Amino acid sequence: MKTMKELPEIFKDWEAVIGLEVHAELTTLNTKMFCGCAQSFGDEPNTHTCPVCLGMPGALPVPNKAAIESIILAGLATNCDIEKETMFYRKGYFYPDMSKNFQTTQGPKAFCMRGHLNLNIDKLGAKERTDIDLNEDGSYDTRIGIERIHMEEDAGKMIHVGGSEGRISGAKNSFVDYNRAGTPLIELVTLPELRTPAEARAFMQKLRQVYLTLGISDCSMEKGSLRCDGNVSLRRHGETKFGTKTELKNINSFKNLHDGLEYEIKRQCAVLEDGGTILQETRHWSPSDKKTIVMRVKETADDYRMFPDPDLAPFSLTDEFIDGVRAKLPELPDEKIERFVSDFELDSSDARALVADFEFSELFEKCASELDKSQLKKLSNLIVNNIAAHIKDKKCSIKDTKLEPQHLVEIVKLASDKTLNSNSTKKVLEAVLDKGVDVAEFVDNQNLAQSTDSSEIDAFCKQLLQYNPDKVAAYKNGKTGLIGFFMGQVMKHTQGSVDPESANELLTKLLNE
Amino acid sequence: MEFKNMCTRKIRQGLIDKDFSAKEIVDYSLERINNSEEKIHSFIELSPDLAYKKAAELDDFVAKGEKLPPLAGSIFAFKDNMNLIGTHTTCGSKMLENYDSTFTASCVKHSIEAGAIPIGKNNMDEFAFGSSCETSAFGPTYNPWDLERVPGGSSGGGAAAVASGQVTVALGSDTGGSIRQPGSFCGVVAMKPTYGIVSRYGVVAFGSSLDQVGPFTRNVYDCALTLNALSIQDPQDCTSHPLDVDYTANLDKDLKGKKIGVIPDFVETDGIAPDIKAAYKDAIAKLKDLGCEIIDVSLDHAKDAINAYYILGPCEAFSNLSRFDAVRYGFNLPNSNLDSQTSNSRGTGFGNEVKRRIILGAYLLSSGIYDKYYYRAQQVRSLITQDYTQAFEKVDALVMPTTPNTAFKLGEVSDPNTMYLSDIFTVSLNIAGNCGLHLPTQIGQNSNLPVGIQIVGPAFKDENILQIASNLEKEYKFYENYERITRNF
Amino acid sequence: MEKLTEKDTKAIADYAKIALDEAQVIEFTDYLNETIKMINPILDIDIENVDPTFHPIGNLRNVMREDEPNPSFTQDEALANAPLQEDGAFKIPSPLAEGGDQ
Repeated sequence: MKTMKELPEIFKDWEAVIGLEVHAELTTLNTKMFCGCAQSFGDEPNTHTCPVCLGMPGALPVPNKAAIESIILAGLATNCDIEKETMFYRKGYFYPDMSKNFQTTQGPKAFCMRGHLNLNIDKLGAKERTDIDLNEDGSYDTRIGIERIHMEEDAGKMIHVGGSEGRISGAKNSFVDYNRAGTPLIELVTLPELRTPAEARAFMQKLRQVYLTLGISDCSMEKGSLRCDGNVSLRRHGETKFGTKTELKNINSFKNLHDGLEYEIKRQCAVLEDGGTILQETRHWSPSDKKTIVMRVKETADDYRMFPDPDLAPFSLTDEFIDGVRAKLPELPDEKIERFVSDFELDSSDARALVADFEFSELFEKCASELDKSQLKKLSNLIVNNIAAHIKDKKCSIKDTKLEPQHLVEIVKLASDKTLNSNSTKKVLEAVLDKGVDVAEFVDNQNLAQSTDSSEIDAFCKQLLQYNPDKVAAYKNGKTGLIGFFMGQVMKHTQGSVDPESANELLTKLLNE
Repeated sequence: MEFKNMCTRKIRQGLIDKDFSAKEIVDYSLERINNSEEKIHSFIELSPDLAYKKAAELDDFVAKGEKLPPLAGSIFAFKDNMNLIGTHTTCGSKMLENYDSTFTASCVKHSIEAGAIPIGKNNMDEFAFGSSCETSAFGPTYNPWDLERVPGGSSGGGAAAVASGQVTVALGSDTGGSIRQPGSFCGVVAMKPTYGIVSRYGVVAFGSSLDQVGPFTRNVYDCALTLNALSIQDPQDCTSHPLDVDYTANLDKDLKGKKIGVIPDFVETDGIAPDIKAAYKDAIAKLKDLGCEIIDVSLDHAKDAINAYYILGPCEAFSNLSRFDAVRYGFNLPNSNLDSQTSNSRGTGFGNEVKRRIILGAYLLSSGIYDKYYYRAQQVRSLITQDYTQAFEKVDALVMPTTPNTAFKLGEVSDPNTMYLSDIFTVSLNIAGNCGLHLPTQIGQNSNLPVGIQIVGPAFKDENILQIASNLEKEYKFYENYERITRNF
Repeated sequence: MEKLTEKDTKAIADYAKIALDEAQVIEFTDYLNETIKMINPILDIDIENVDPTFHPIGNLRNVMREDEPNPSFTQDEALANAPLQEDGAFKIPSPLAEGGDQ
């Protein structure tokens, strides 16, 4: 295949139509969807099973009320209409991980229908789309429709053994573990309204925030409790009919979702522009090969022999039931962003960055109550820059570090009163994250406190400007990049012991006098 | 002590009076079964250990002077599609020949908790698909009234066991007539309660929206007593209803002023055996004598029930039987290819009638066909239900034949679709969900076989039909006929 | 009404995972066609504006259980009826395996 074009170039001629199907296991519930087996992860195989989830002859399902409440919660949080009259259906297909050889799921009417999520696509993601007005910060806002969220059950797990080099393709035998079988699963289907891989990624991230906020799932893409299939097709701008779509199955990270879709768009474009046709295929994104691989070609639509499950009584939800669930709705990410902007006087991109991760906003709020409003910008920066970088680097979450909110409060206070410069702040923070050191003691022992006597630096700066009148003139004529030169001199002179931020502030002030 | 024709009430009283012990009843029953099984073959498995265990518990109760539960000492057999830990649950199929029950069905549990002694598991048509008990993978059951004839099906083993006096009570399941039709062929009281009264949990499903468990007994009182024990709302069955009814309460009340509906079309059609017609007419006359008002009603869509049934039944069965895939349990023909293993295991483990219905169901549910047949059959179900509702606005119960014929000979009916027609008077109740009871009344003049009538009631008015049956039983005293066959075994 | 062919029967049996030999395919095709002929009068019934009854359970709705655990099987109990097992799991030929007798 000839070299593939990049997205912005492709999007000049083509429009991508992307839809997502997102499965989330309701991991925070005690029991499975239709039986009283405890939910588990990583336990000995087949130790969380019973006649119902093993599909023993004669067993009957009874729905978990908390699961129904959870899906209603998810529906309310994603602006869905709650469908009061619904039924469970049986979706028939033979596969050994499905103990009854049918999946209990919902039919044409799901508990939640016709919702939407509002997305903010950041500056970087916005580069993928050229046909839209941007906000001041280079991001843009969009709304993605949700077709439905329905309730169903997860399958068991299969382990394939016997192939060479651990590859599943040559496996002789498989081993089935039904511990996961019957785990409550909600499947959200978007409308085909996503237009770029960045939008698809943002949708998943936003949905994950929402589910985490609701507390209905641990949403671990790694463990598979949050899974996503993406389908994508291309059409010429102005065309109203959809092109043939391919489906990417079992995507296990935001990055893979983005990269897999990006590759598919590039591949489809190359095929189409080469006069070829797209086959309706299921494909698998291989991050190591950086390409998608065909899993199977769909020649005909699958026939699942769906019909209403006679073993499960229909639902006719009452207003009382729905209102009871509504009363449990926590503050949702969009509401939280608004509150952070208004209450903490953060700018919206900071607020968004904090709210993007439930742990970030939780930590922020815990610390904010003990700090002044003027210190909150610093707090926010430390969380979304330094701490975020640390946990990303260590591939862990905040709760896996030694950091306590009180540590952070102390650090912010010391940084705010200039006791710590930005380098020292970083040092202390790292030590706290890694070892949970006592902040005051560490600052003392490492001699990190900087002299608060600013008169010396003040004098040096003034002298510096006097000695470099031509550069000062150039700066005033718009060559503002020269601030870097002055900063360099200051840092050199003070051997880095000065707080770069305050030095920068001081220089800017002097230069603009 | 002579236990032969003893009913549950007498057994319980005998235990209280210490006339005999529960262990003695079990000794006697096992001996009697062993002596007669070669001829009747109503059992797939006996459970002497479980029986003696329960007997010991009851004898202990007596020794301690504790109150005995209502079914104490009654010898119960269960259709072999009901799970009972300590027994296999074969469903009369090679597929489950070696399957050990991993839990106990609620109806079985409720019976045993009410004092019943579990003696074994009855033969049945494979997975309950059949009307003659001939499709069992373990050989047919023979009708105790005439060993050349079938006992009916699918719950034929239970009907034969009760008729021959092997057991006091047997539980069957009825999807389209599988309790009432063998009840009719074997001359025993046979009841399909209203859908939702008896839990289906642990009963291997055939048609989930049609299946209902019910008793075979030799008298109406035992039937009511058993229903009392079974009618417990089960949190493990979403379709089970909360009820609090004593089904024995009305049995002795007379029938004066009761309105009985009849459907003239039903008996005036061809193909109804003269003995069946005669028994029906006689019963109507008796009911008049007992002070009932006989009213003609029409059930316009009842004739469509058989067609709806042969859509709904196979569709639900196809889905319910998908789980037999040789992975977790069941007959397995090992193969290195998964698809081949599954298909060969199912192809060999299931008998022909099961395979026919699975394939019929898989066809009827396929896309494009589903709306044409399955959806439509569920609409027809609404019409049939409506007909019953309207009829029961005018009458308290309906009386009609249970089957068009008396018991036929083994091998006599080989065409599946002809066999299906023996359900013609029974299926509409499974479709609508209401209750029906077969009451044996006489020995047919021509056939010399038992005949009787079907009494049909509205949903959740099962006590009504028991009351009518009880009053007719006093007139006919059919139970006096049992001595005629029990002496043969 | 178009009749089902032996090819149709084979396709349905494949879907339902029932191995049939050639004689059975012929027999089952006849059976299917006969049975469909038998049930076809249902197509003549006027069902306009009639709602289906999928559940003959009257007004029973919203039947649910609380999210409280019940005891599960032990591994041995779960595997008690397994035709093949290994290391606590049900053993099957891999769906990804190639070959085998089809």
